[in-house]
Amino acid sequence: MAVTTTTLRWRVMAASVALRVALVAYGEWQDAHLEVRYTDVDYLVFSDAAASVAAGGSPFARATYRYSPLLAFLLLPNSLLHPAWGKLIFSAADLLVGLFIDTILRLRGVPEKTRIWSVVAWLFNPFTFTIGTRGNCEPIVCAAVLWVLICLMKGRVLQAAFWYGLIVHFRIYPIIYAVPFVIVLGKNYAGPAGPAGRPILTQWSSKQQLQSDKTSENVEEPTSLLASLWIFLSSLVTRNTILFGLFSGSMFFAWTGVFFYLYGWDFLNEALLYHLTRTDPRHNFSIYFYHIYLHHQQGFSSIQKLASFLPQLIVQLALILRFSRDLPFCLFLQTVAFVAFNKVMTAQYFVWFFCLLPLILPWTRMKLRWKGLACMLVWMGSQLHWLMWAYLLEFKGRNVFVQLWVAGLVFLAANTFVMIMVIRHHNYSQLFLMSVKSGSKVAAKKE
Amino acid sequence: MPCSRTYVADAYLDALTGQLAQHRDLTEVPETADLCKGLDDDLDVPVLSEVHRQLVGEGSHRRLVYSVKFGNCEDDAVKFLDGYAANLVIIEKLPSGVFADPFELQHFVERKVFLDVAVFGDTNLELPSALSNRSAVEIHFDFKPSTTMDCNLVVELPLHARYPPLDSSGYATVEFGSPDLLLHYRKKDTHPDSCIWVSKNLDAEPVDKAVWRVPCGNGAHAGFVSSLTFISALVCSMSVVLAASLIS
Repeated sequence: MAVTTTTLRWRVMAASVALRVALVAYGEWQDAHLEVRYTDVDYLVFSDAAASVAAGGSPFARATYRYSPLLAFLLLPNSLLHPAWGKLIFSAADLLVGLFIDTILRLRGVPEKTRIWSVVAWLFNPFTFTIGTRGNCEPIVCAAVLWVLICLMKGRVLQAAFWYGLIVHFRIYPIIYAVPFVIVLGKNYAGPAGPAGRPILTQWSSKQQLQSDKTSENVEEPTSLLASLWIFLSSLVTRNTILFGLFSGSMFFAWTGVFFYLYGWDFLNEALLYHLTRTDPRHNFSIYFYHIYLHHQQGFSSIQKLASFLPQLIVQLALILRFSRDLPFCLFLQTVAFVAFNKVMTAQYFVWFFCLLPLILPWTRMKLRWKGLACMLVWMGSQLHWLMWAYLLEFKGRNVFVQLWVAGLVFLAANTFVMIMVIRHHNYSQLFLMSVKSGSKVAAKKE
Repeated sequence: MPCSRTYVADAYLDALTGQLAQHRDLTEVPETADLCKGLDDDLDVPVLSEVHRQLVGEGSHRRLVYSVKFGNCEDDAVKFLDGYAANLVIIEKLPSGVFADPFELQHFVERKVFLDVAVFGDTNLELPSALSNRSAVEIHFDFKPSTTMDCNLVVELPLHARYPPLDSSGYATVEFGSPDLLLHYRKKDTHPDSCIWVSKNLDAEPVDKAVWRVPCGNGAHAGFVSSLTFISALVCSMSVVLAASLIS
């Protein structure tokens, strides 16, 4: 049996590598021979920016380059070696995500066969294998986020902080994970060995125990809301949380500082401030696009800005407060919600949560038939519905703004439906085992 | 024409946008009027007989297709091209609401569809019409013997529509003005690195009007769209919060 699953594992990896190499090669052919390119427009932007750096200039000389200069440095071989270098790097990161998913699930005692299916959910997801091969850099971000998770699971707090600070500098959105990271690094993070000890991970079990982990959370009954708030906040002030917060913050400001010194306000405006203040009136999946277009000539009031931020804030806080100890689950839901409630939403953002989905699959009670399929069909169907109206607007020139906006509302409803289904069918399982005193059960590891 | 004026459209910029030209840095060449002496004497430069321009395609991404015919091309053009290298230069001053993507056009140069191309003015690819300025495109197209055998040059310029200002009719109308057509030519034995070309305005007659209808938002929708957007977001977020709170 062990030989069979090992062989299957190697076949999955080999097939994934072959698929990506074939797609990169095909992409080069399509770009050279067909009118419509396979390569993403963003890849051309990265390559031009890298060429500008290679010539001694700034990456921001290239219009619409809105990334850290690190990406341009990474793609320098595009002009020195081969234009497909970047795509190979992104595809390699994509494969690394598969490896990290396997590592995380193995650390939690998930049996090999279940792990393979979870990894397949990433490696053969059409959204994901096209992203890297078309030249999108998101797989690098996904790999870094998973690496931070692995470091936390292995007790390497400083290493986690290093990569976390770096990846927030690179892409900003992982900042939403800051609070759950701090919460899990709190009082109960380290094992019995003490604050510097390696944390103990809750293991997967085929007998999914729903109640056990939750009831172990509160040892003492709080006398008041204020008291429980005080207990909660004081549990967050530990050596690990302070180290993590200070070091990751320092990393972020150090990288930002270095590039501000090198490239000035161009860097700050394009790579940082643009993403924080971006309001794009052009059509995209977000429900806010038409509202933004209808107000683009007169601007927005403070109330409107707050109103568009409030639902995002509410749902992020609720998810963090409720699920942060089941860290992969919390990160997954937060990312889905962040993308769904954001003011701009494009298809490349989907990989941000697709890389976290395999981490929660072994803990779901939802079977593929039929609830799982229903979620997939609802989500993809509402997306296709939106794409149909977008095609009529952009490529047929028909005024279907209202229909397209409604399709965006339908897509938000679909995302909400999927989130609720996932929540209702998830077996909550804290990532880090609480201390023995709290009486939590450790599920027996089963092959 | 000296190198510093390789792009003719530099001269249009103040009229268009008041912005600085985006052109390559080239070394100044002293006036060489003497070199031009005698260039026009007894020279049968091809004469424009017909120019057609059509906006082709649907939606927000279309092409302006120019069809340029020269008179007596079988004899005069062939004789002319025996001794001279020539480029057709088209300058299209784009109306507000339409833009050309300089990176896309550069790809055309790499594929040798155009000899050269430049975009002047507002080259921002993302801003809506109300927040952007006008631009102009200058295309240099090789006047080759093989194309003039048919006496008909066809040039396609890809263009994209910006999001127009709001209008209750639901559509904005963008009208193109007439393009300028010039012929750049010089003797074939001129050193290839020389920047001296003779520029002749082809005096193109006003072409057929090109009109682009672009869908636009309706300001009357602002109230209900904004309200329903915020309410939907709130309802969905509270649904997720409720689901998270209710599981035991």
